[in-house]
Formats: sequence, structure tokens, C-alpha cells
Amino acid sequence: MNLKVDVAEENEKSIVSLIGEIDAYTAPQLKESLLPLTRIDSQLIEVDLEDVNYMDSTGLGVFISALKSTKENNSHLKLVNLQERVLRLFKITGLDEIIDITTAIRGGNQNGQI
Amino acid sequence: MDLQSFVTIQKEWDIVAARQLGRDIARKIGFGTVDQARIATAISELARNIYLYTDTGKICFEVIDNIDHKGMSIISVDSGPGIKDISQVMEDGYSTSGGLGAGLPGVKRLVDEFDIRSEDDKGTEIRAIKWVR
Amino acid sequence: MDALKLDAVNYKELLRNYINTQDEQSLYGAEQISKTFIKNSIPPEEIVNFHIQALTELYDEIPEHIRHSMDFLLETMISYGLAHQEYQTLREQQSELKSEISVAAGMQDTLLATTKPVIDDLDVGVISVPAHQMNGDYHHFIKGKDGSLGIAVADVIGKGIPAALCMSMIKYSMDSFPEATMSPKSILKNLNRVVERNVDPSMFITMFYAQYLPAESKLRYSSAGHEPGFYYDAQSNTFEEIETKGLVLGVSADTNYKQYERIINKGDMVILLTDGVTECRQGDRFIESEEVLDVIKQYIHLTAQELVNGVYKHFERLQNFQLRDDFTLIVLRKEV
Repeated sequence: MNLKVDVAEENEKSIVSLIGEIDAYTAPQLKESLLPLTRIDSQLIEVDLEDVNYMDSTGLGVFISALKSTKENNSHLKLVNLQERVLRLFKITGLDEIIDITTAIRGGNQNGQI
Repeated sequence: MDLQSFVTIQKEWDIVAARQLGRDIARKIGFGTVDQARIATAISELARNIYLYTDTGKICFEVIDNIDHKGMSIISVDSGPGIKDISQVMEDGYSTSGGLGAGLPGVKRLVDEFDIRSEDDKGTEIRAIKWVR
Repeated sequence: MDALKLDAVNYKELLRNYINTQDEQSLYGAEQISKTFIKNSIPPEEIVNFHIQALTELYDEIPEHIRHSMDFLLETMISYGLAHQEYQTLREQQSELKSEISVAAGMQDTLLATTKPVIDDLDVGVISVPAHQMNGDYHHFIKGKDGSLGIAVADVIGKGIPAALCMSMIKYSMDSFPEATMSPKSILKNLNRVVERNVDPSMFITMFYAQYLPAESKLRYSSAGHEPGFYYDAQSNTFEEIETKGLVLGVSADTNYKQYERIINKGDMVILLTDGVTECRQGDRFIESEEVLDVIKQYIHLTAQELVNGVYKHFERLQNFQLRDDFTLIVLRKEV
């Protein structure tokens, strides 16, 4: 169970690419990379989940705390390229309606832009 | 207390010098081989803490010769940052040297009496006593 | 002191026997004495010292270099001795913690206790098993004065002690709500406010709340982001996922929940569960929800309680008898 976190900076945008699984073991690592970014005023944080094949509720917890932080710090969180299984989790929990999720076409533009 | 001696700890080599002096004193007082080895290990731990975490410090030895028992004190004195949370440092598994060091709980186990005093930004004094059996 | 001397004497005798005979019996003695050493907390450096003493007493002259080598060996044992003592202390601490947790788990059982309701036309089966000592899943039955039955199933993020503490909070707030005539959507709305105010930002709880009204054979329900359950239609012999929308508890203070309802016919079943059931893993493979249904179908002819027990045993075996997450499954079957 491993997670690789890559952060690329582009002006007022951080692109966080994740590879692996997000569970109780790897969630703290994700939280550590993600939360500081959400504290930057008017920053856009785009999380690419294309290579995440598994996520459990601990992972959802990290995205929820990131979302709460963006609201306090005037930044914006966006999730792109979610795999079916991971997207299902956001849908069941109703989080897809409060988090900006773009289900871009797989293998399309890496930044999830159309 | 008739004999006092000390070794100043600055380089790693000083740890060896402190062990040597401590062991010589222990042998003279009449400690057996096993206790000599334990005393040397306790000295190592204390001296290594000074070497790793402070700029200057020393290990002092005192011979204790009462009517009913004989022994020695090992006193580590430094002017380092001090230990903020002594209880935490004395917990098993929490080792400030990060590696396999026995840490201060180890020193406490190796000796018969053990005491720490520490002040923020002023330094730490650790006193360990071993009695001859 | 005396015990130490006795150990030293015994060691010397055994060693002498062995040197003279080299027989298996002395070696068996060595095994026994090493257990005694452990029992008496004799550190390894002391054993090396026994050996040195024994050699000196048994032989008048030991070559100088052997003697020095023994001293050297003794020196290398000191840290092992310390590590062993530390291990013993940690072991004691661990058993203290374990007994504290088992007391806490007992308290939790009492606090969260709920009795399986007896309702004339409803066959109810329940199983809830924690992955560790304490359960982060929660289920509760509340019988209303109007004859209705409230059924809550909840799952808190994570497992173990933090999850269990969180569940106690849910239980307390549920108890403080007025009579069980409250509708599912208002129960979730109220709970959401409590959870939002009292938990860490990364914490959340999912809950499915259903209310069964026997007089009308009607089920009313709302979901706060909970793993969807299943509905079994007896007439067509088919299962369908119970579709609901609703945000998990604890994320957004002003959340309103949608309420759904449906009429339940004779033989129909409502299956409620937590994600410990659907998130079962077999090695690296996940169990798909169709598989859960396949297993349920195998036991469908049994009573509701036998059915949930059978499904649990199936998934327990699939995971090599080591649950990864708390497991809760409730089945309601309308009999008349």
C-alpha cells in the first residue's frame, strides 16, 4: 500500500498528482502535502486522481478537511480524472455535490481542461 | 567524597576517554566485571547525549565511601538547550538519539539511583549512582 | 542476591556435566536453565559472567586470551540486556492497555446496547462485529408509541477507539431527541448539526435512518451519505439498490436531507449494511456488491437472523478470519 504525491506549481495553481492507494496508512501523507496548499490565498489546487485505484473513508476525510480549509482561506479545490470506484465513493457520500469534481475523459488533457 | 575527576566532552573520542576514566575508577572501588561494563555503557549514553545535542558539557565522577556502602556517582553537566519534557524522554521507545541508543531510560536501568534537573536554555544535570554489591 | 548465586551454581554444575559427558541430557538442562534465567530476569551479560566464573572455578588456569575474549563478549551483551528489559516493560504496558481497552469495550457494549425489536409482521436479523476490540459501526432500534419502528445504521470514519468515542456521541444525542415520532429527515438534520460542531474537520459519519410504519406497511428513510442498502422484491425475486442522496454528517452545518418512502409487500426484504460489508477484500481483490447479493441469495430461504449470520461467516472466511473493517448487516423481512 503506497501513495506517491507529486506537486507541480504554475502561477496561482498547484497540480497534485497522486499515484497509488489512499487509505488509513497513506492518508496522513496526503494531508501533509494538501493542507498547506489550501492555506494559500486564492490558490487553485487541482488534484489528479487518474492513478488512484483505491480510496477509503480516511481518504475522503482528507478531502473534506481540505475543502473546509479552502473555504476559510479563499482558495479552491478541484478533483479531476477520478476512476469509477473512487468516484462512486464521492457520489454515495454526497460529497460530489459540494466538491468541484471534473470527470474528464480518461487519457485526455492532463490538466483536466477542455 | 574524596576523589573528583571529570572529562570534557567535545569530540566523539571524548566519549571513549570518559568510559576509560569511569571504568578505572569503578575497578578501583571494587566493582565486578559486569557492573564495570554497565557503568561504562551508562557513561557512553550520557556522554553521547552531550556530544550530539550540546556545545559543551562534561562527565564528572565522584567516589562515595560511606560507613555502610561504597559506590560512585556519574554526573553529566551541560549548558545545552535543556530537556523540555523530562517524562517524555524517560519513556521507553522514545529515544532522542533516534537510533538504537538505550537512551536515558537505559541509563536509569543500568544504575541504582538516577536524577535529572533541567532548565530551558540553561542546561541539564544528570546524576547517576551505582553502589558496589 | 541469593537467587543469583544459586543460578550461578546450577549453571556451573550443568556446564561441568556437559564438558565431561557431552550428552543430550545436559543440553536439555541448558534449555531448562535458560528459561529459569528469563523467568528470574537474568540479563545476558550476567549469564556470560556465570560462564566466566564457572570456567575459573572449574579450571585452575584459563588461557589469558580466552579470559579476555570472555570479557569482550560480556561487554557486547550489555545493550542486549537493556533491550530485553525495555521489551519486558513495553509488554507489561501493552497488557495494561489491553485490559483498559477491554473495560472500555464493555462500557461501549452497555452504552450502545439495543434490543432486537419484536414486531408481529417483521422478521429481523442483525449482526455487528468490530474489526478490533471496539466497534465504529452503530445500529439502533427505537420503538415509537405509535407502533412505528426506527432503525439507525451508522458508520464512523476509521475504526477502533476514536471511532468508538464518536459513536458514543451519536448515541447520546439520539437519546436526547424527543419521542421517536421524528421523521428520518429531521433526525439526520439534527444529528448533522451535533456532529458538525463536535468533530475534527477530517472526521465524518454516515448514517441510514429508516422508519417502518406497520399500519401502512410503509418504510420511510433518509441517508446521510451511507453505503446504499438493498431492497428485495419477493414477487419478482429481484434485488435493487436503495437509491438515496444525502451528504455525510459533520461536513456542512445547514444540510437538509431528502426523505423517501415505499410500500413493503409480503416476503419483501430491506437489507441495510455498512461499508465493512461491501469493502471486504480478498487479497488484492475487492468484493463487488453483486457478490454480496449472490451470498445473500444463498441464504435467502432461512430466517433473517440465520441469513445475516450466514453472510457474516462467508465474508469472515473470505478474509481469512481477520476482519479489516467493522461489519454490520441488518435484514428486515415482512412476513404477512
